[in-house]
Amino acid sequence: MTRTVVAAAFAAIYVLAIPRIATAQVDPWEFEVYPYATESRGVAELETDNAVVANGHRGGYSGTAAGSFASQGMWYNQYEVTYGLTDRIEGAAYLNVAKPNGASFQYAGSKYRLRGRLFDPGALPVDLGWYAELEWHRIPQFDDNPLELELRPIIEKDVGRFSFIVNAQFEKPIFEGPNRNRGFEFGYANAMYYRLWRYLSPGLEFYGATGDIDDNDPLPRQQHYIFPVIWGELPRGIEYNAGPGFGLTGGSDHVIFKFNLELERFVGAIFGPSSDSGWFF
Amino acid sequence: MRHSRCFATSVALIFSLGFLFGAIAGPAGAKDHSLPLEIQFKDHRFTPRTLKVPAGEPLALKVVNASDQTIEFESFKLNREVAMTPGQTVTVRLPALYPGSYDFYDDFHQDVPEGTLIAR
Repeated sequence: MTRTVVAAAFAAIYVLAIPRIATAQVDPWEFEVYPYATESRGVAELETDNAVVANGHRGGYSGTAAGSFASQGMWYNQYEVTYGLTDRIEGAAYLNVAKPNGASFQYAGSKYRLRGRLFDPGALPVDLGWYAELEWHRIPQFDDNPLELELRPIIEKDVGRFSFIVNAQFEKPIFEGPNRNRGFEFGYANAMYYRLWRYLSPGLEFYGATGDIDDNDPLPRQQHYIFPVIWGELPRGIEYNAGPGFGLTGGSDHVIFKFNLELERFVGAIFGPSSDSGWFF
Repeated sequence: MRHSRCFATSVALIFSLGFLFGAIAGPAGAKDHSLPLEIQFKDHRFTPRTLKVPAGEPLALKVVNASDQTIEFESFKLNREVAMTPGQTVTVRLPALYPGSYDFYDDFHQDVPEGTLIAR
């Protein structure tokens, strides 16, 4: 009896302690690397991002699971609406749902973001952009932080038919939750694309998270993924990006499949054209 | 406070590296070319459909939407994409191109015949 109580106490401590040992997290709803280019003024884009964990972790708070649901068999599904506010700034709203293994689809969170590009493409030798996002998470099922701020500088360089894109991610819990006083975590979403054919091209994407920027997690607990992808444009202007992802550390899920679809249409502009000599708006 | 300093330092470092790389690589801004590099969209087609441009130097391409439709001037090979309302003119800056042909099209109207930039 005593042994049972002690074992139960240790189990409870283990379960309660894990969320506090917040490991470096990637955003599994969005295996997408943002380019320098934004949506054109007046253009709306509908997008769905999907990721299925084919071989993950069987407990919560590990792998891509930032909450109590296990990542194994999880289907992450995100719907996104983006609108080009000006020629250089776009706004977006997201709805995140998920289907844990053996459960039904359920609400997981929502996000709102502004993203912009500085100057015009080719005006600088390296194209620079910015990204600011607020993320609400359903806790404790899908995250241990109810509200987070994410900032990304975006850097892109085209060399012939190659594009190299860097999204450095800085994420911080804000306003509420036990981690609100913690600093920024560092992550990345980088890509190398080759423009082969308009309808089918190859690419390599890299995602990862290392933990607090001033106190990185040990490498085995960090998450790092490589995704060989194909991407292109289908008939009727539907664009796709799909491929398997492979975890490179013990803290990563082992195999993930991603499949993103997007469709854009001009719906009408709110603001007038941006100035050719402008750099922000 | 320490976190804020680290964050600010990291962002500043990344942007600084970007600008530094740019400065070292030299200005890539397209210069005004003596040739009239202009493409006009009118009557559901681009004019001219084939435009010869010099290879090896940055270019500024003026695109005029002289139609009554909103179009999206796009080039897959050049990685350029811009929506244009009726009457709008935009300047598309291009890097120094390798000799070859580069497509451009109206992504909102896929029945519009594609055009080609020929760099040589």
